Amino acid sequence: MFHQTPLKTLAMALLAAGGVACALTTGFYGRELITEIAILAMLAIALDLVAGYGGMVSLCHGALYGAGAYAFAAATVLAGWGGGAGILAAVLAGGIAAWAVGAVTARTQGIFFIMATLAFGQMGYVTVFDARALGANDGLPGVPRLDLSAIGLDLGDSRSFALFCIALAVAAYAFAAALLRSGFGRTLVGIRANAARMRALGLPVWRYKAAAFGLSGAIAGLAGALAAQHTSFVSPGLLHWTVSGELLILVILGGLGTLVGAVLGAAALVLLKHQVSGFTDHWHLVVGVVLIAAVLAGGRGLYGGIEHWWTRRRMPAAPAEGGGA
Amino acid sequence: MLDARDLCKRFGALTVTSGVTLSVPAGERRVVLGPNGAGKTTLFNLLAGELRPDAGSIRLCGRDVTALGVDARARLGLSRSYQRNTLFAGLSVRENLALAAATAQGRSATLLSDSLRHPAVVETVAEVAARLGLTERLDWPADALPYGDRRRLELGLALATRPRVLLMDEPTSGIGPGAIEAFHAVLRGLPADLTLVVVEHDMDLAFEIADRVTVLDHGEVVFEGPPAAARESPLVREIYLGRWRRDA
Amino acid sequence: MDAAFWIVQALNALQLSMLLFLLSVGLTIVFGLMHFINLAHGALYALGAFVAVSAAGFTGSTWAAFAAAPLAVATVGVLLYLLLIRRLRSAGPMNQVLVTFGLIFVFLDLFRMIWGDIALGLPEPEVLAGQTGLFGVVYPTYRLFIILLGLAVMAVLALVLARTPIGAMIRAGVDNDRMAACLGIDVDRLFFLVFCVGCALAGLAGAVAAPVLSVTTDMGTGILIPTLVVVVVGGLGSLKGAVAGSLLTGFVQTFGAVIAPQLAAIAIYAMLAAVLILRPAGLFPARA
Repeated sequence: MFHQTPLKTLAMALLAAGGVACALTTGFYGRELITEIAILAMLAIALDLVAGYGGMVSLCHGALYGAGAYAFAAATVLAGWGGGAGILAAVLAGGIAAWAVGAVTARTQGIFFIMATLAFGQMGYVTVFDARALGANDGLPGVPRLDLSAIGLDLGDSRSFALFCIALAVAAYAFAAALLRSGFGRTLVGIRANAARMRALGLPVWRYKAAAFGLSGAIAGLAGALAAQHTSFVSPGLLHWTVSGELLILVILGGLGTLVGAVLGAAALVLLKHQVSGFTDHWHLVVGVVLIAAVLAGGRGLYGGIEHWWTRRRMPAAPAEGGGA
Repeated sequence: MLDARDLCKRFGALTVTSGVTLSVPAGERRVVLGPNGAGKTTLFNLLAGELRPDAGSIRLCGRDVTALGVDARARLGLSRSYQRNTLFAGLSVRENLALAAATAQGRSATLLSDSLRHPAVVETVAEVAARLGLTERLDWPADALPYGDRRRLELGLALATRPRVLLMDEPTSGIGPGAIEAFHAVLRGLPADLTLVVVEHDMDLAFEIADRVTVLDHGEVVFEGPPAAARESPLVREIYLGRWRRDA
Repeated sequence: MDAAFWIVQALNALQLSMLLFLLSVGLTIVFGLMHFINLAHGALYALGAFVAVSAAGFTGSTWAAFAAAPLAVATVGVLLYLLLIRRLRSAGPMNQVLVTFGLIFVFLDLFRMIWGDIALGLPEPEVLAGQTGLFGVVYPTYRLFIILLGLAVMAVLALVLARTPIGAMIRAGVDNDRMAACLGIDVDRLFFLVFCVGCALAGLAGAVAAPVLSVTTDMGTGILIPTLVVVVVGGLGSLKGAVAGSLLTGFVQTFGAVIAPQLAAIAIYAMLAAVLILRPAGLFPARA
């Protein structure tokens, strides 16, 4: 069960404060990194919501992210809509696509679920790759940013955009945390723990799995819309399954089923990538070794490890907290 | 309350349920007996909705539920406990019971409040825990419970839905002789208006709590009547008691 | 489009199916025995291709390369087993998926370090160069060799599984590993054996594919998805499933590209989705 513990609140506050401080003090490159982390964190929160709490380990979140990015790009560049409508389109595209995938795959479990989501994700990738209207494998350039000049914000400025992305990432965290503490979130954890029993208790399990997947997809779609605005460009690469794979890795590195870990993992991965690319171009080797080491070290991930250490230090004899806490 | 007519179920060439008719009026305690492989668990799965019968019909509270799935039947007041514990691993006893209560009370989709802390859920959890003697263990992780307590929690999950009809598949399986007596007391203390269908291996329990006994053999009903008559019946002795004694 | 065209397409499909079979059979039986899914299987296939290229350069013989690749990849398999996989036995499927996923990344960069980023090639053995007439069409001899090799491996595996004591043990282990352990079968050793054979077959597949395709660092990730599709469509753990899955995937992919080029890329994913929706455990699951 999810509990918004003081440790979680503290960790999130520190992460957000650190992000804001960097955005205000560093140069252009630092702000770009912070923006990237905030967007990735939002996507990671979406994945942790279903993978960590609902037991639905998805390999199509890259595709949902891409669906959001393309929906935003298509709405603004091709249809000429405003940024607000574009964001709405992105959220809806991610949410509806995810709901459909969730509904169709609700009966499959474990490795079969992973494979099914992989298949649907790759179908999305291939479709976009071949779609001439969407620029095929060249993608769509010239994606505009949301116009917030009405409230005195110029998102064209990298500092404002970084702060905007941090604010939305924090909002995504708050939304996910509130959802997990509601009856719906409790039900989700129940499904992860024992779906057959939930059904025997009277729950139409597939509807809840599909709804959870849809909500997660909506968050992923929003992250995609931000990514499209960040680089002002969308390409099929956003939907590729390796994006989903790397996403899953960072959630695991941060701590699956902790929500804060997703944010921490996003920060760690982007910073590590940045550091490693400074002295070697064998970035994949480093990530692979770090992932293997993290799993062999107990699989709790960064935040999971911190939380474990914290609770043991404070209450040496306490029984283990409920799953997914 | 629960009416099954002419249920048939085949797995390939093997007929495991053959023309079973079972009619349990409200508030009755029915015990289903039979040797291993008589088709007791299959019958349960048919009644609960986990298997679809090849022929026959099932009515619950006067409504035809033959085409309904497990969850739809559960929402109509049918609850079951399993022969092998199927608890919510990783969650505490309190969370286990609260999840069952909240689900049955239709609070699964609430978005703005914690269903597990709703007063009606908390009340049900306390009541069920007290009935099963689990009050002291509410904050234990379900996986850390001793086996006997996990068995009680298994029944507790079914009871927390406040069912009208409760199907119990060998509730005392694997429990030591000392704990069985306590379990009997729990069963005797269940609300009188609850309709109970119990698959049981334990003859003493069967005859102690049953209003009526149904005996299955090779997927067919071979006897139905009050426990005393079952005890007397030479047929039941032959196909059930005789073989049972030899098995044991 | 006449009959000859379709015969050539069918042979192409068969050739792809056989490569997929060589890759998927080890993966699926290992899964059946231990519920262990090795995502780095595609990387081992690429390793086989690279080793074959180097061995051919060293010895000047493609046949020597075909022998060296499975041996080298099986050796790497032994090392992986001893260093990593043995420790993951009780770590749960999620952790296994992740570690082998990490291995994909590690292998990818190791290939780049050792063999570089440029696509390499392997000449086909001289005996098999040229074309052969078959069913009234002319078809590359080497591709026929791949088909025959796949069929031969299929036959040998079917015989081993059906007729030998070790095959009986594997079937028992797939059917019910705990029961098999109770019967005194050393499931761990069986797993080790099957894992190594699976690695060797992946290496062989990489080596024989090398003359047909170009050898690149990402060939392993490219083949991984179709292989997993085969395994899941066929049903995890069964030889029959691997055969059916690879034929289905090979034919759907090849004929999809011919009949509806614009939908070809989607075809195998659509097939996978359809199978998972209709039969969530695959076509021929090992355990009913």
